[in-house]
Amino acid sequence: MQKSELDNANPTILNVSELPSRRRTGGTARHGPDSKYDHIVFQKQVWPGISSRAVSSWPSDEEEDDDDDTPIEEPIDEQEIYDLISTISDPEHPHTLGQLSVVRLPDIHVTRPANAWSDPQSLTTVLVELTPTINHCSLATVIGLAVRCRLEQALPPSYRVDVRMKDGSHAQDDQVNKQLKDKERVAAALENDTLRSVLDKMLETCA
Amino acid sequence: MAAATPPPEEAPSASSTAIISPLPTFKPDLFQRAWTSVPHPILPLLATTHAKSVTVFSLATFSKHSALTGGHSRSVRTATWQPGMTPPRLVTGSFDATAGLWSWSGGNATSEKLEREVTLSSTEGGDGDEKEEEEDDWTFNLVLEGHESEVKGVAFSPTGQYLATCSRDKTVWIWEDVGIADGEGEDEWETVAVLSEHDGDVKAVAWCPDVPGRNSRSGGGRSYSSDVLASASYDNTVRIWREDSDGEWVCVAVLEGHDGTVWGLEWETKPREGDKFPRLLTYSADATIRIWTLRDEADDEEEGGPKGGGDGANYAGFGGIPNTMRRSLREDWDCTAVLPQAHTRDIYSVAWSTATGLVASTGSDGIIALYGENAPTAAATSEEAPLEASAKAAAKGWQLLATVSNGHGPYEINHVTWCKRYDLGTERKGEEEMLVTTGDDGIVRPWQVRIP
Repeated sequence: MQKSELDNANPTILNVSELPSRRRTGGTARHGPDSKYDHIVFQKQVWPGISSRAVSSWPSDEEEDDDDDTPIEEPIDEQEIYDLISTISDPEHPHTLGQLSVVRLPDIHVTRPANAWSDPQSLTTVLVELTPTINHCSLATVIGLAVRCRLEQALPPSYRVDVRMKDGSHAQDDQVNKQLKDKERVAAALENDTLRSVLDKMLETCA
Repeated sequence: MAAATPPPEEAPSASSTAIISPLPTFKPDLFQRAWTSVPHPILPLLATTHAKSVTVFSLATFSKHSALTGGHSRSVRTATWQPGMTPPRLVTGSFDATAGLWSWSGGNATSEKLEREVTLSSTEGGDGDEKEEEEDDWTFNLVLEGHESEVKGVAFSPTGQYLATCSRDKTVWIWEDVGIADGEGEDEWETVAVLSEHDGDVKAVAWCPDVPGRNSRSGGGRSYSSDVLASASYDNTVRIWREDSDGEWVCVAVLEGHDGTVWGLEWETKPREGDKFPRLLTYSADATIRIWTLRDEADDEEEGGPKGGGDGANYAGFGGIPNTMRRSLREDWDCTAVLPQAHTRDIYSVAWSTATGLVASTGSDGIIALYGENAPTAAATSEEAPLEASAKAAAKGWQLLATVSNGHGPYEINHVTWCKRYDLGTERKGEEEMLVTTGDDGIVRPWQVRIP
């Protein structure tokens, strides 16, 4: 961004070691009450769609693979979503969204339908609420787009990603939220070369 | 895959009264997001837009017929066939802010090749030679430039004379095919109007079909031409446009009621009893489908008369219409039904069958839903419930007949359309209707619909 002035010249920056990670929290402390029973409910979750296009051929006309050796994976949780997006770089500061607390673990919500264990095709909703560094941050849309983009690339197709500004954190919440929710606008934005290069740069820091 | 058991969705649930079952998909798979699939009005062809191109499938063989490539620098979002044209002509709308006009140029074989699709259907299967030449089959004739940003919708008026395009730039453009008018067949198009009253992206446009009811309102001292255009927008509204006696296109109604982007609209193409004016169906990010009905003129009179009444009061509840709009051009549209709730997320597409009047919807949740309208009760036949208060009561007029979950597996479904069957699997070729859905998985899937 060739901006002469930063929108927020002096944001609060967290040290990398202060950021939430699975290692430090021991894997359970991060769960809210909603996910208290996840270890029971989702213990043997199978996600056939994670790395293959196999699901796309459903309902298959010819072959039906019976129990093939789909690896059993743990369901994707809030920490994992956090890990995917907290490493995105801010478009104007030399820090990550995690360090700037634009992305916060408690503001990530993963909602699975009750029948998720029996129906691998059921949709899981990921809601990410962002907190821009200041409330009129003009780059809120770009940051939201980067988060949506990152998650849609990384998550299985059965995940629906909703990215919003946290209530009251941004002056034009509704406008930004509506834009980020609009599939057609997002698709068109990703074909814009200028925007695309900004996003690519932000996503460079993702593992 | 663990889902080796037949998908339970195929079986009708207890309340279902119709069965939607998958047919073999169109081949080849496109392996990238496909936006929309548009059947030709007469020929057994289906045009699917994906990335920067359009793949035309044969409805006889469910396989690739030809492709339109190289005309657009960004994704082709939408397409429509120009009615009444031989050889076929297709208009594409692209994120590159232009609309493209294509015509079939598969040599002299034009009608021959197309007809063979019709008459021989799928008997020989392969015909690989011709497919190799597909790049020459379509000519990019003309580019329509004017929009400032992505073109999201394109639609032809029933005669093919007018083309409407709409864009993220908040405008609707109406173009006239001047070549048709002067009969010389030259590709010459003129901009007739630029309509810019929407406050947000215009997502879709649709022309009222030429059914007998379309002219039911042309009397009564009003002076419209017969074409009626409707537009759906990111600003949550739908607008109705007509051409007045001075040749000006004006907004005659704003339909407010949706609580989210209106993704699109469908006119009722099946003629109504008593030749009433066609109804309009709209669908939205608010996960609802609404049906709107033009208020009868008799009701207008009850409200104090359409002409010469007090100016101010009559504008009440008519938000967004500029004061300059002439009283005589106003139309009153009421939401007369909200279809039963079947979706949990954005509804991206709805199709209203000309043949059966059945409605099918789909969207972000991957569900395909089918609705039917109950035969009107004796009391309801005489008068469509006109008031908003009765909208809920009118909803009883529609019922959910069937739903399919995960129609494209876990992927979002972007489009659904009714389509005549020409494949060997049907006993009523050119008559039986199927549904065709188009998804983010790049699959175009036909569905058989059975109403017991």
